Amino acid sequence: MADQGAADPGNNNNNKPEASEGTIIKVTVKTPKDKEEIAIAEDASVTQFKEEISRRFKAKQDQLVLIFAGKILKDGDSLSQHGIKDGLTVHLVIKTAHKAADGGSTSASSSTSTQAGSTSTSNPGTNPSTTTGSTGSAPPPTQTPNILTGFGDLGGLAGLGMGSANFMELQQQMQRQLMSNPEMLSQIMENPLVQNMMSNPDLMRQMIMANPQMQQLMERNPEISHMLNNPELMRQTMELARNPAMMQEMMRNQDRALSNLESIPGGYNALRRMYTDIQEPMFSAAREQVSVRNTSLHSYSESGAQPSRTENREPLPNPWGPPTSSNPSESGGGSTGSSSTTAGTTPSVSNPLGINPGSLGNGMFNSPGMQSLLQQISENPQLMQNMLSAPYMRSMMQSLAQNPELASQVLMNNPLFAGNQQLQEQFRAQLPIFLQQMQNPEALSVMTNPRAMQALMQIQQGLQTLQTEAPGLMPSLMPGGIPGIPTGGAMPTENPASSPSSAGTNIAQQQLMHQMLQMFAGGGGGGGSTQTPEVRFQSQLDQLNAMGFINREANLQALIATGGDINAAIERLLGSQPS
Amino acid sequence: LAISRVKVPRNFRLLEELEEGQKGEGDGTVSWGLEDDEDMTLTRWTGMIIGPARTNYENRIYSLKVECGPRYPETAPTVRFVTKISMNGINNSNGTVDSRSIPILAKWQNSYTIKIVLQELRRLMMSKENMKLPQPPEGQTYST
Repeated sequence: MADQGAADPGNNNNNKPEASEGTIIKVTVKTPKDKEEIAIAEDASVTQFKEEISRRFKAKQDQLVLIFAGKILKDGDSLSQHGIKDGLTVHLVIKTAHKAADGGSTSASSSTSTQAGSTSTSNPGTNPSTTTGSTGSAPPPTQTPNILTGFGDLGGLAGLGMGSANFMELQQQMQRQLMSNPEMLSQIMENPLVQNMMSNPDLMRQMIMANPQMQQLMERNPEISHMLNNPELMRQTMELARNPAMMQEMMRNQDRALSNLESIPGGYNALRRMYTDIQEPMFSAAREQVSVRNTSLHSYSESGAQPSRTENREPLPNPWGPPTSSNPSESGGGSTGSSSTTAGTTPSVSNPLGINPGSLGNGMFNSPGMQSLLQQISENPQLMQNMLSAPYMRSMMQSLAQNPELASQVLMNNPLFAGNQQLQEQFRAQLPIFLQQMQNPEALSVMTNPRAMQALMQIQQGLQTLQTEAPGLMPSLMPGGIPGIPTGGAMPTENPASSPSSAGTNIAQQQLMHQMLQMFAGGGGGGGSTQTPEVRFQSQLDQLNAMGFINREANLQALIATGGDINAAIERLLGSQPS
Repeated sequence: LAISRVKVPRNFRLLEELEEGQKGEGDGTVSWGLEDDEDMTLTRWTGMIIGPARTNYENRIYSLKVECGPRYPETAPTVRFVTKISMNGINNSNGTVDSRSIPILAKWQNSYTIKIVLQELRRLMMSKENMKLPQPPEGQTYST
């Protein structure tokens, strides 16, 4: 590429934002992970430069911090003011609201960041058994509701603290972002479900004890069970979890106390011992899933007084790191990569239960990334199975079913729905159905069927494609059902998709989804009334065959994805063919 | 074999370091440059350190002032944090870096550079004794 600063009007770099007056220079923008060469006008302002950078690095402008020669470049400055010339390098730091050194979360490092090490940000504590997952990075409000969300965010519930390797990273990321965004935290905390759960020490205890790892630990260390049984302590912990600021304070104090402890002769050794004896098994437990345990346990056993924090001196193992041995009975919940679970809040001193309030409420509400969740679920059918069989999952679902108020509240608080009144309305109406669905073993078994999940996902994708490519099509699809998709089972009477609202395809799509959900529910509940896709799309398949698409499998997939729309299916097929 | 060490004149050295700073050599976690581009004596420099991940310094950008005296590089530069930081060897009230506590400043060699100093400080941020120190709120600076 042109490597001289002379003006190059024929500049084939079409990323240049402003038509330059003056010469174009090539400046290297470097992050600790990445490097890009950006062409910009010599006399451009820092703001313009950032625009370009934000495009190239796919980050928001206000997340960018530019450094040149030891100085931070302010928006109002110009590049020439700082002496930035052709061929020079500017350092970039992308703040993902939490991390410096690049937007990418160092998922590898993960855990440690959640420890005391992580700056400020209240670290709500480890992922309690209930974690429903934390909201992922600021849930993008534009996310179209995923089918799964229809299941009362069942997927989110999957966040119940189970993790498998794939989700770890996502969880980590979410945790971090969650932690860096105190607002989100307070949102979560305000969630009535979360509060309910947290104010019920019995429930918490139950959840914690349900973890076989914990049970093991408890056998080894009776003190842990003491701690669990100490309502005072539990309550205190929950208070803490509720109050991020307080938690932070306590953490700080603890850290200091600990460092003092360390200076006592022999103190360091004692700490070390505690760590190895207690913390390790705990962390392996945490690794398996819901972490809960916490150093405070140690400290409790140690000091006997009030939970002092046993600060661990070494980087805590990554609770969400690739599980050394996946724990089948628990991994289920973990999945919710996106949706879920919160981040591992590593047990910190002040948070004995490693409660991560984020995970508590939010998993349920987190839709973004549902897609990846689905993917992962389909990759790992075991997960769903496990998740669904998790005892507390059941009980939660039951309680949700019994308490439609609560469920609706829960759903309403879902940030995804927050901005969308219509959707809320619809979901509210759908609620009883969803709740039923959840109880419905058929539905559950579908969820455990990876292919079904895959199909669902494809449908979702297809819908999205449809929406973008044929916005006009959606409304026409609405009433009366979608061509090709059987209205197997009675469509529940409240069919919100009555008239395609001109409010936009978004609404239309949502309605479509509702319909589909209902059909699904009907299909699932009705048991036998679902026809296989093959049967449904028989005529379309024949047509495709006649046109020369002989790969029946692919045809079927495409048809399923597009809901029976031949043209769209053909496009899909063509698009996916190797060229 | 004795390797004869050529004693590079101060200004040559500093110009080299200036160029290196502008070209962004290194891993992008530290940056340095002249505080004032017109400074012909090449004495006052600003530096920047990006707080390392997995420490309490993470996600922060620390600004420093480095002063290369007339005897640089035979003598170590004086370094001072502008952004508030809590770290061993850094004066809490004015951010000056105690040359006796930072190993490379204490045992300075004339082959060391500003970059090395910044990188060393960053490395110290990752040490066990520093990484967990509670830090002041982000964005505060020392008043001097």
